[in-house]
Amino acid sequence: MPINNISGCIGCGTCVSTCPTDVIRLNKDGKAEIKYPEDCQICHLCRMYCPTDAITITPEKTIPVIVSWG
Amino acid sequence: MAKNISRREFIATAGATAGFAALASMGLYSGWGSNDSDTNSDQLDSKELNCDVLVIGSGMAGLFAAVKAHDAGAKTIMVSKGRLGSSGQTPFAKGIFEFGAQKSNVTLDEFVKQVSESALGTNNPIYTRQMAEHSKARVGELREWGFFDSPLYNKSFNRPIKDRNIPVVERVTITHLIKENGKIAGAAGFSIDAKKIYFFNAKSVILCTGAGGFKPNGFPINDLTHDGTIMAYDIGAKVTGKEWNDGHPGRSINPAACYDGWGDMFEQKPNTTSVSIRHDLGVDMNYMAYQQGNPIKMGHPGEMNNVTLEGGPKRPVLQGSGMESEKRPGGKRPPKGKGAPPGMGGTPVGGSSAGMAIHKSEGLVPINDRCESNIPGLYAAGDALGSYMAGAIYTQIGSSLAGSAVQGGVAGEAAATYASGVKQLELSVDKKKELKDKIFAPLSRDAGYSPAWVTQTLQGIMIPNFVLYIKKANLMQAALAYIEELRDHHMPLLRASDLHELRLAHETANMIVSAEMKLKASLMRTESRCSHYRLDYPETDNDNWQAWINIYKGKDGSMKFEKQAFDSVRRS
Amino acid sequence: MKNSIKNYNKWAAILLFFALPILIYVLSDFPRRSILKETISILTLGAFFVTMLQFFMSRAAKDKLKEHRMATVIKWHKVLGYIVAGILLLHPFLIIAPRFFEAGILPQDAFIELITTSTQGVILGIITWMLMLLIALTSIFRDKLGIRYKVWRMLHGILSITFITGAAFHVIELGRHINIPMLWLISVLSILAVALLLKLYFFKTSIKA
Repeated sequence: MPINNISGCIGCGTCVSTCPTDVIRLNKDGKAEIKYPEDCQICHLCRMYCPTDAITITPEKTIPVIVSWG
Repeated sequence: MAKNISRREFIATAGATAGFAALASMGLYSGWGSNDSDTNSDQLDSKELNCDVLVIGSGMAGLFAAVKAHDAGAKTIMVSKGRLGSSGQTPFAKGIFEFGAQKSNVTLDEFVKQVSESALGTNNPIYTRQMAEHSKARVGELREWGFFDSPLYNKSFNRPIKDRNIPVVERVTITHLIKENGKIAGAAGFSIDAKKIYFFNAKSVILCTGAGGFKPNGFPINDLTHDGTIMAYDIGAKVTGKEWNDGHPGRSINPAACYDGWGDMFEQKPNTTSVSIRHDLGVDMNYMAYQQGNPIKMGHPGEMNNVTLEGGPKRPVLQGSGMESEKRPGGKRPPKGKGAPPGMGGTPVGGSSAGMAIHKSEGLVPINDRCESNIPGLYAAGDALGSYMAGAIYTQIGSSLAGSAVQGGVAGEAAATYASGVKQLELSVDKKKELKDKIFAPLSRDAGYSPAWVTQTLQGIMIPNFVLYIKKANLMQAALAYIEELRDHHMPLLRASDLHELRLAHETANMIVSAEMKLKASLMRTESRCSHYRLDYPETDNDNWQAWINIYKGKDGSMKFEKQAFDSVRRS
Repeated sequence: MKNSIKNYNKWAAILLFFALPILIYVLSDFPRRSILKETISILTLGAFFVTMLQFFMSRAAKDKLKEHRMATVIKWHKVLGYIVAGILLLHPFLIIAPRFFEAGILPQDAFIELITTSTQGVILGIITWMLMLLIALTSIFRDKLGIRYKVWRMLHGILSITFITGAAFHVIELGRHINIPMLWLISVLSILAVALLLKLYFFKTSIKA
């Protein structure tokens, strides 16, 4: 999981618009939800913009990563 | 996961038990940002907006384009697929070049000369000079707006925009530029929050859409897919710089984690940089990995110079003051900071910025020093403009961000001037219908290919270092065959199940076209220079290749190529 | 006998309002954050549980507390009351306080964004914050209000019921450390707390004034 956990979300929606790759959406409860984790670029903008610091992020990617050499 | 049970459901139940159901049913949540999975095309909303100048993109270039166009008297709208100051590469760029802020013995003429030397002539000195000349004024405005007070840019970017009441349309992905009678007439796109099509009737359009890559891992450019470049190419604009490569490495541990790879840089407040001209390759590390295998032998920055390796990309012997030969590519590296850039902490792996060229080297071909393209009314600024401000290599640290600010301002004023002299062109009903069908086509396909799969296939073809970093004809031909397959067979069958995927479908198509451009331009340039390295043509060929490659769409729809001599640049 | 009941009450209170929440906190997979942030969380969580405990440390539970000296209980009720009221009133500011020490949105901007978010949980939070303030002020200035003690007691009780109901919803809706066990614990304790007071008002059986 790139974005590991969202807890303490107040539903302001800042992370939704802040995410450059549109990973987060508000669910039917009006809470931020990691909807497209495979598109997360692990840039932490959502975490830094969150007014309640609700987002925890880990450095792992959900899908295998293609690099130039390995 | 226990958390997945709906708190609201629980509250409703508990509330009813306790007799407070009314509280739970207050229903204050507006539904904003939820993804409507209903893709029934009958329910399509459409919105039409009119303006003199449409600015597409909300990074550093977009900010100044909108502000300066507005200040020059144009009715301006900004549209972005992300959020102001929080999309593209701008949020992660922490160093901005300010020429002449400190006492320096380097004059403007000397600065331009030194950049040209390091760039082996690949730079456009008019844009190099323009960047340096205007940088101090733009930095001053940014300082006034509070840009240097926070590591996050949304607030400071909002200040001049709010002061001027410039409308900002966020989370709308522009997919098409519209041309009528040979001139720009507007743009069209869709909202990723609700099935809604947007038409912008604009006298002039400024592309501030940044550069792009193949959604690589380890560099925060996964929202950048050359959208502006490809849209403009489709309506006849000339594009350049596709053979150059940004060679940033990533880390072997968690290579996709941009934040972690860049140390604490994303958390730093921005800072200014002063004159320091370099020749940062990046492609040399790919050569080392290609020859020696992984892990590549290197200690801390600069040490790699001591590792002897036959052949490989060359760097020029630079003279003059302020020149460094530190090996690390670092167009965005701030002068201070504890964090190590990618690859510097732990074993590096390549391709973290795969698919991207050097800042400002790829994009629309400017026909003058006003950021104007060959299509009347269409302008580009920042990484969307192939201005060759720094050349085909990283030269001045912090000039990438400064260049975006400066060019945004120049383009904004130029577009406003242009718009004041032309009439608004109305979009025909047929055109709108055609665009609507094109934009939403992936949603209506029952069968096809998912953008995620096509993107991964594309990455598998293009990212390995023996394709775009260490180039040779037969392998590029082979890769091209794959890319042409994706172009002819998969691009027309991209499908999307929701609006997020619809955005990915359009982005994927743009990446495929860009991949074709990159391979063909790289095949055409039969020499090695700056960040373009050919294993089969390792020497710099000054007899034939003191020229840029411009790409345009031929009358038959095929990709055409032409050379433009380095010294053929014009002023308006 | 007297002491054992006193002990029993004490231990029951400690178990329900202290040990159990801590146990849930420790055993659950909540993300562990910095020491400062976790301290703030535990402090706030603790304050909320003590607020619920306050209902059981009042005249409403008199029949259960008959082995205790009521004056001592009420003394503790007051002391704890002022402490938790202080923490809960500070709680909106404590949420954004760590931003003073780390990169990100400025604490003042975070606060403005927080209180201008019009979702149910936030609005409830703001309302209950004001109620808490009202409870605290009417307690501090009880003598200056010029109302009879019984009327004040009624007012205090009604305000408390309204507060704890709203606060429980607020906590369940927005709490950082809410999972199923925590949710049940809070629900049961808050419903019991409200029930205890309502019983006092509607079936005045326990009031022998």
